Amino acid sequence: MTATAHAPARTATTPAPAATPRRRKPGNLGAAATVAVIGVFAFGPVYWLLVTAFTPNDDVFRFPPRLWPEHFTLEHFANLADNAVLGRYLVNSLIVSTLTAVLTVLVSAYTAYSFSKFRYRGRRSLMSLILASQMFPQALLLITLYLVFSAYGLLNSYLALILSFTTFTLPLCVWMLKGFFDTIPNELLEAAKVDGAGQGAVIHRILLPVSLPGLVATGLFAFIRGWNDFIFALTLAGPAKQTLPPGLVNTYLGEFQAAWPDLMAASLVVSLPVVIGFVVLQRYLVAGLTSGAVKG
Amino acid sequence: MTPLPTTERRPLSDRTFGFLLTLPALVLFGAIVFYPLVGSLTTSLFEQSLVQPGREFVGLDNFRAVLDDQFWPVLWNTLVFTGLGTIAPFLIGFALALALNTRLPGRALLRGAFLFPWVIPGVVVSFAWLWIFNANYGLLNGILFRLGLIAEPVSWLGDPDTAMYAVIVAKTWASFPWIMVMLLAGLQTVPGVLHEAAGMDGAGVLRRFWHVTLPHLRGIIGIVILLEIIWNFQHFDTIYVLTGGGPAGATTTFAVAVYDTAFKGFDLGRAGALGALWLVLLLVLVVVYVRFAEREEQS
Repeated sequence: MTATAHAPARTATTPAPAATPRRRKPGNLGAAATVAVIGVFAFGPVYWLLVTAFTPNDDVFRFPPRLWPEHFTLEHFANLADNAVLGRYLVNSLIVSTLTAVLTVLVSAYTAYSFSKFRYRGRRSLMSLILASQMFPQALLLITLYLVFSAYGLLNSYLALILSFTTFTLPLCVWMLKGFFDTIPNELLEAAKVDGAGQGAVIHRILLPVSLPGLVATGLFAFIRGWNDFIFALTLAGPAKQTLPPGLVNTYLGEFQAAWPDLMAASLVVSLPVVIGFVVLQRYLVAGLTSGAVKG
Repeated sequence: MTPLPTTERRPLSDRTFGFLLTLPALVLFGAIVFYPLVGSLTTSLFEQSLVQPGREFVGLDNFRAVLDDQFWPVLWNTLVFTGLGTIAPFLIGFALALALNTRLPGRALLRGAFLFPWVIPGVVVSFAWLWIFNANYGLLNGILFRLGLIAEPVSWLGDPDTAMYAVIVAKTWASFPWIMVMLLAGLQTVPGVLHEAAGMDGAGVLRRFWHVTLPHLRGIIGIVILLEIIWNFQHFDTIYVLTGGGPAGATTTFAVAVYDTAFKGFDLGRAGALGALWLVLLLVLVVVYVRFAEREEQS
């Protein structure tokens, strides 16, 4: 590598001098090769999931498998639609995730408003406390949670799932909304108070309406967390109230162990809302990710 | 916010009101995290069943039983899963972040697409890899067979020698995108001027990486690795769906062991004892993380 070229590949603003293309080529080739190799690892399983979901059983159950699909079918998706139990899991997932989103937005909005715009003793400790809740192992908490919910007759109820999901989604959502509220000028809220609005009115008539995009993003995030959860729904809900993740495990890894194409089709269906949600959330994603609280 | 003069219409001071706003979150935290934590730790001192009422104080018997039996193999499995399950996705995520930090065409689209394995539900990750690792019809055996690398199908998840590595591969697939995004965000803050200066001083690509890029990323690398370690140390979903902790306990980590002891063995005392030991190790990691994060924030 010679020292003559003075415009490295990374400065996007300066126009590239004549010497640059010759130098950049090996770097870009290496980058493209890296992306290609990791791409095979990243997208190979996705490709295989898709192929299996649309391939007839006769072609799926053979060894060695065909890497390129020859026949196309929608029968596996039809099997899913015919399965009433899966329909119930889907409804449960929708109900629980939606209510989790609503409750999470409410609770985290109040908490984030408090952290963002008020100063009082113990505020920092409270913030650490909320943030810490994602560090505790859930399997350990579940030992007692199971007994508590059982004592109050809340096992196999939506409420047990909603309360659990909401609690573990709170840290991220509070931090997301706090970041949002921090950008709202204090003068806006003060002006309303001077005009005679009470504390509640400031929240519900000023703060929440101007924060609508942030609230939607937070709600979507909470929905996805509820939708994806496995261990709480597995433990606290029986067949009647179970959501899709444990429901699919019980259905396909139990009785119909060989129904791989159906399971792949179901996997696509479960993933769809989450993928759509993340495409919508892209703008908020990096901020949420860097707060280090997304997955626990 | 400067407190306004209190009028009769607003009897609450701003401070009190600010604190009251956190009450719903505090109640949830108390009921779903704090009380269960204390409760589960207390359980470790009792002989208690999940399915029968009543319990009997037994002192440290549960700890003795657990240390004589499960603890060490479970600790080893957890360490292997955590260690390899952090290093592998870190290397892949870092390589990808560096590659996507060049002027590659379509890199914004690629960055979004690479997030897919991380975005989808954890059980779907497990389903996809269960199918790939399937002994009879699986993709992996099929490819290796076609290439002539194996003569007959291998039961990747059914063999105690390979099961843990198979699980780690699946977890790596789900983990590396997050690491990539974090490191890419860090890479984009490395000032181009530094690279220019180093380039003019005659530093090659590798030396510039070592002396300019790496030092600049030190903070974010530390945070990413420590968080991955903490998450892997308590990971449950992928392992439980792929192997259920088997075969012959070869993939039983703390999360799986505590869960199974409580909800399949119904032995809450032993589950509590194992969980208490698990929590102590986890807290050490969390303290290291918090210290590191605070130091990074100051510098």
